[in-house]
Amino acid sequence: MTAEESTAKVEEKKQEELAEEVATEEGMKESPAEKKEALGQAEIPASPYAGDTTGEKKKKKKKDVETAVHLRKLTKRFGPKTAVDEVTLSIAMGSVYGLIGPNGAGKTTTFSMMAGYLHPSEGSVEILGFKPSAVDELRSRVGVLPQDALLPANDRVGEFLVHMARLQDYPAEKAEGMARQALADVEGKEWWTQRCGSLSHGMAKRVALAQAFLGEPDVVLLDEPTAGLDPRVAYEMRQLIKAKRGRCTIIISSHNLQELEEICDAAAILDRGRVVASGAMNELTAANEEVRVKVAAGTKRGSQPGQVPIAKLQELGMVRSVDFDDEAREIIVSFERSKADAETVIGHVLWILLHAQVRISGVSKGRGLEQRVMDLT
Amino acid sequence: MVARELRRSVRSVKGIIIGILTLLGAFVASLVCVWLEGNDRDTAKIASTEAYIEIKKAAIEKATGDPAFAAYAASIPTSLLVFLKITVWLGPLLIALLGFDLMSSELQHRSVRFWTVRTRRWSYFTGKMLGLWAIVSLITLVLNVIAGTVAASRGYVTVGQLMTWGVRFWLVAVIISGTWAAIATFISSCFRTPILSLLTTFVAFFVMWMGSLIGFFVRARDMMETGVQKDMAWYEYLYPNTYDTLLLSPETTKVLTALGVLIGFIILANAAGAALFQRRDI
Repeated sequence: MTAEESTAKVEEKKQEELAEEVATEEGMKESPAEKKEALGQAEIPASPYAGDTTGEKKKKKKKDVETAVHLRKLTKRFGPKTAVDEVTLSIAMGSVYGLIGPNGAGKTTTFSMMAGYLHPSEGSVEILGFKPSAVDELRSRVGVLPQDALLPANDRVGEFLVHMARLQDYPAEKAEGMARQALADVEGKEWWTQRCGSLSHGMAKRVALAQAFLGEPDVVLLDEPTAGLDPRVAYEMRQLIKAKRGRCTIIISSHNLQELEEICDAAAILDRGRVVASGAMNELTAANEEVRVKVAAGTKRGSQPGQVPIAKLQELGMVRSVDFDDEAREIIVSFERSKADAETVIGHVLWILLHAQVRISGVSKGRGLEQRVMDLT
Repeated sequence: MVARELRRSVRSVKGIIIGILTLLGAFVASLVCVWLEGNDRDTAKIASTEAYIEIKKAAIEKATGDPAFAAYAASIPTSLLVFLKITVWLGPLLIALLGFDLMSSELQHRSVRFWTVRTRRWSYFTGKMLGLWAIVSLITLVLNVIAGTVAASRGYVTVGQLMTWGVRFWLVAVIISGTWAAIATFISSCFRTPILSLLTTFVAFFVMWMGSLIGFFVRARDMMETGVQKDMAWYEYLYPNTYDTLLLSPETTKVLTALGVLIGFIILANAAGAALFQRRDI
């Protein structure tokens, strides 16, 4: 390459960078309402950090992306063992996404590569268009709750959170207010002066959650957010996470399937390091093409009163197939989702069953995430 | 990060115990140094500091044949010099005990994960190293104040000497401890298990000291056999404490060379540690 060619290339690159910066500036002028509209999100409550004018945060090089996280053939090997094997995923901005799988499925390893803790053996990770190692670009835009990281025992909770906020480029006068707000969000105001080492497991988890959501990041990665917590605290944690919905993209790694089914819009099911299924939650659970009715013990199929009238159910126009699992005492009605939604099908099916005097124990849409995972892993 | 590390050291049980033991040890060492100088003066039957300096000057001039160097070396307060030697020799032990878990415990407990999403890894690593260096420098300052106070109370040093030689001795201890701190941080960042880090740090420091000791004895033997003072072997230069004499030299070139080498050590250990830390899984 000649000197002229080299200079021309440098100039070209400068022009590209300038164009990107201009595009970024313009992108930032877009109002939050317009952004939400673009994402198809509902109006959300005002953020406690609204009006944040931290110069540093605005100066950051941003990319306009629709995908919050993109994994391409992501692979991680530990010696001869392949923990994650060519995982490819795209997680849309603004969604709540679950990483599901049994122990050893590769959830935490995948999560750790997303957070930049582990380097991929092959493949790539992009968060908001950047590699996880691009700390300067992602600082304050990505929050992480690591599964088993201990808070620094000698730090007071307030000091720790203020320190984290300061590292996110917030000025000292603002950092304390933000830290106090984050702690208040997890209902831990009174822990401000406590040493992190003296907190119970549940309290420490909440403080860790507070640091993950500190400064309203665009993407929040939560690894087993409710693991080891008692039911009450776990419930409160779920409520906290739900309260953050719509404000950011949340990625949750967990094997608590009920929790994920409740919180997530979409998920990927991993098994032995591979993605065995992924998609929207209602697709994964077949909630939009299957209805299940649990009937009382002793109920059999037939046309007599109190028996399951399979033939009558099959006559319904939108129904594709009807099956009765004697052992599980469950009627499984599959339907064409283009012809009716699950609620309509439930109405018709229950109407027929009640007329046939069948005693009903329960109704559900789809097979449930738990069943789906059991089938796949 | 540096302020946080200072706070962490001061608050931890380990830090408090090491601090108390070091201060008590420093007090005892100061008394020993003063006793040694007192003993020296008693043997020479000298009461005033000025007369003591003159006797030292004559002895050094006789040994080296260099009156300028003799005048310079004789002005060095003996008790403070002995204390500096003790401080520099025991410094690596203090740094190993304070620094072995600096990175390894945070890797073991994965606390480091809270930081790496917010700060560049090399910055985190350097902050840790500087934090250790800062706490050791502070401890060394307190030790020097104790030693200076004890020596001044016996009339062996003046306030003027404390402000000149005292400060210079402290700076020598600081620059050397920086090298040890960088090496200790580097070793600590290589392990997830603090006890392994501690053992490796001890072994590494001991091997460096042994290299210096072996070199010294080899040169002493050659001197006895041939009567010629030989140059130091290359491995003796790997021991940071070797440079304390050079740092106290009256020749600016020697001081700057020693300073350059020690700063080189610090930069090298820090860069290597930061590069490895950047590449490792945490």
